[in-house]
Amino acid sequence: MATNTLFMSTTARLRDRKVDLELRATASRTVRSSLVSLAGLVGGPVTNQAGEEVGRVVDVVARLYGPDPYPPVTGLIIRIGRRRAFLAADKLDRVQAGQVRLRTARVDLRDFTRRPGEVLLARDVMDHQLVDVDGVQVTRAADLYLAPLTGRVVLVGVDVSLPTLLRRLGPRRWQVRPTPDRVLDWQSIAPFGAQATDGPAEVRLRASRSALHQLRPADLADILEDLGRTERQQLLGWLEPEQAADALEEMEPAELENLLREAPPEHAARLVDEMEPDEAIDALRDLQPGERETLLARMPAAEAAELRGLLAHREGTAGGAMTTLLVTARPEQTVAEVRAELAAQAEHRTEIAAVAVLDPQGRLLADISLYDLVVAEDTTLVADLTAWLAQFGRPVMVRPDTRLAEVADQLVAARAASLLVVDEADRPLGRILADDILDALLPERGRLHFRRFLQ
Amino acid sequence: MVAGPGLVAANAGNDAAGIATYASAGSQYVYGTLFFMVLVTVALVMVQEMAVRLGAYTGKGLGALIREQFSLRLTALAVCCLLLANTGLVVSEFAGIGAAVELLGVPKWLVIPPAAVLLWALVLFGSYRWAERIFLVMSLAFFAYPVAMVLGHPHWGDVGHHLVVPHLERSKEFILLAVALIGTTVSPYMQFYAAAGVVDRGAKPEDYKLIRADAVLGAVFACGISLTIIIATASVIGGTGPLQSAAQAAEALKPVAGHGAELLFALGLIGASALAGAVVPLSASYAVGEAAGVERSVSRSFRDAPLFLGLFTAQIALGAIVALTPVDVIQLLIGTQVLQGLISPIVLVYLLVLTNRRSLLGAAANGPRYRIAATTVVVGVAAMSTILLVQTVLGWFGLV
Repeated sequence: MATNTLFMSTTARLRDRKVDLELRATASRTVRSSLVSLAGLVGGPVTNQAGEEVGRVVDVVARLYGPDPYPPVTGLIIRIGRRRAFLAADKLDRVQAGQVRLRTARVDLRDFTRRPGEVLLARDVMDHQLVDVDGVQVTRAADLYLAPLTGRVVLVGVDVSLPTLLRRLGPRRWQVRPTPDRVLDWQSIAPFGAQATDGPAEVRLRASRSALHQLRPADLADILEDLGRTERQQLLGWLEPEQAADALEEMEPAELENLLREAPPEHAARLVDEMEPDEAIDALRDLQPGERETLLARMPAAEAAELRGLLAHREGTAGGAMTTLLVTARPEQTVAEVRAELAAQAEHRTEIAAVAVLDPQGRLLADISLYDLVVAEDTTLVADLTAWLAQFGRPVMVRPDTRLAEVADQLVAARAASLLVVDEADRPLGRILADDILDALLPERGRLHFRRFLQ
Repeated sequence: MVAGPGLVAANAGNDAAGIATYASAGSQYVYGTLFFMVLVTVALVMVQEMAVRLGAYTGKGLGALIREQFSLRLTALAVCCLLLANTGLVVSEFAGIGAAVELLGVPKWLVIPPAAVLLWALVLFGSYRWAERIFLVMSLAFFAYPVAMVLGHPHWGDVGHHLVVPHLERSKEFILLAVALIGTTVSPYMQFYAAAGVVDRGAKPEDYKLIRADAVLGAVFACGISLTIIIATASVIGGTGPLQSAAQAAEALKPVAGHGAELLFALGLIGASALAGAVVPLSASYAVGEAAGVERSVSRSFRDAPLFLGLFTAQIALGAIVALTPVDVIQLLIGTQVLQGLISPIVLVYLLVLTNRRSLLGAAANGPRYRIAATTVVVGVAAMSTILLVQTVLGWFGLV
């Protein structure tokens, strides 16, 4: 009986699967037949109504950065004899695999001038780098697919598969046939056109595509490491400085050093300013003294002074690895007030592990971990919490000149997630988090770079 | 930027195959190839300069530039050429390791396979940096050559004469050796490697002067070492005909090390070969990955970076297998360099076209005078390869 139902369900499943496969095959056939490969189109004939060839396709112009979800084709660049001319999209009757038919018998030719947001697809996008936001990787466009809709043609997807490259190496007959094996939807990529960041503000705004904002900082860091120099700077320009700074904090030091070196100084200064102080210091340390000064000089005076103070500490000591971001509380505050202060610091959420309680002279009384804050009642006074915590001994403190190895030992002994760096009078200067210690003590584990073979 | 990428890249040329080719030049033609080597030095300086200029001004590797600036078919041609030349180089590295251990009395089939697996694993599983230092120290053995040259009492008058007076022969052997000398000095992978090194250091156009100095000095220095190898070998075994074996090549170090010459030579050979045996296949895989636009990193799994890691593995495997064939080692070494010399002009054309493009380099593109000089270099290199090919084909029909 049981075997029977099992058998039944298996055949049913198989049948369903078959139907499903057939559906998918039909779908992909339909998709395949309606898509037009850009690689196949380039070099293809342009015919007029009468079917006579008037020229050959050189490139396809599309408005990449505009209000539309899928970039519309705004025209073609065609070669007629030895001359290149622009053909507006409204003159096109049909765009199909490897050939274009015109709506009119006569062609009025104009020279091509680029309008804002327009890009030459074959020259600027195909074979160039782009960011695949879904797959979180940098790849190159092997082919672009256009879909003729009613009355216009739009760019719908990008092909990034190796078989497509092989198809493009083959004879012309293969080239026109789309092979959509691994096609990325246009919505989920960030392309780099040569002119991507020119043009009016709304174009640029559109360029900072929303898709990029789904990426985690670590993924973004990987992507930044893989991009070429110009693309990297473009991408940085599209991101909000806060988001960019978060990604920079995750980058390999050597790569980050390159990135800051090649960025325009104002932009680099802005990014370093946005980074958490401890990470910013690491980045500045890697630069040459001259470059460091260039960046510091372009920052707001207060931030620059703070960073200069931190830079005075030696690398490998507590002072060199600490972050100066401190959330402090006074004994007379309630837990609810402290929580409100923490909530206001949301942008620094990764840098906060505890709250330092200070007396009126600014000396440290206690270090309340987030756990203790979470479980405390809203109305509890910080002073009571401090008194209760006193039974577990003094908070762990180190001097700025303590070696990091010793800081690590202290941290382990205290079983804490962070510890405070204090001056002679026990006034907190900064905080060292467990991940900063790990960063400093673990050997570099990088991706392949030739640097490894050159140092 | 002390020992910059230019220096390292150029000196990677003095590997097993390089030593074999230079030593053979010394033993076969005494000082006859010196003037030709001076020409090759000029060529190397110009070529390396172009490669690092591209790297500094565009911030992209050569693989990426070729893909973006040429049609896909031309990109495929460049990539195939690079892979072919590099696999030849990897063969020569493993052959060099084999020759070195045979000098020490160990059969090569016992050492080459484990050496290949070891190198492969070191790079992929990441303690290569550490091993690299050992190889580097071992390869310092070749710095005995300049000393050997002085102690070998060459005829300095003859040497000076041959350095400045052109001497070219029409015999097929000379042309073959000349192409091998070009191949081992101006090998295709070096341009890719030099450009990648510059990009990797995040050099900007402002740093170009420094980078150029580094590239030029590196090229001159590497060729200087090559010249001392030729002279040292020539003064010890010059005129004895083609090089017969690694043991014979090691004799050139006798004035320095006496009976320890073979040991010293073997150490240097193992070090230099192992060093290049990792860098060469990596840089080829890197360039191809760049051109194809796929993941390229040794810290990724095979699933994430199949093309990159597959190419790297395939080159090492193929190199080790071919190196195990029972062909005469010296012939094999020189043969791989001839292959490089034949492919070199093709890659140089790409380099020349790229550096001529104003749309790419703007004001840093080749000026009219530089363009003429660089074109002459490329045409010269191509001419040597063509002559060799024509001679070989005619030889098949018994017409030479």
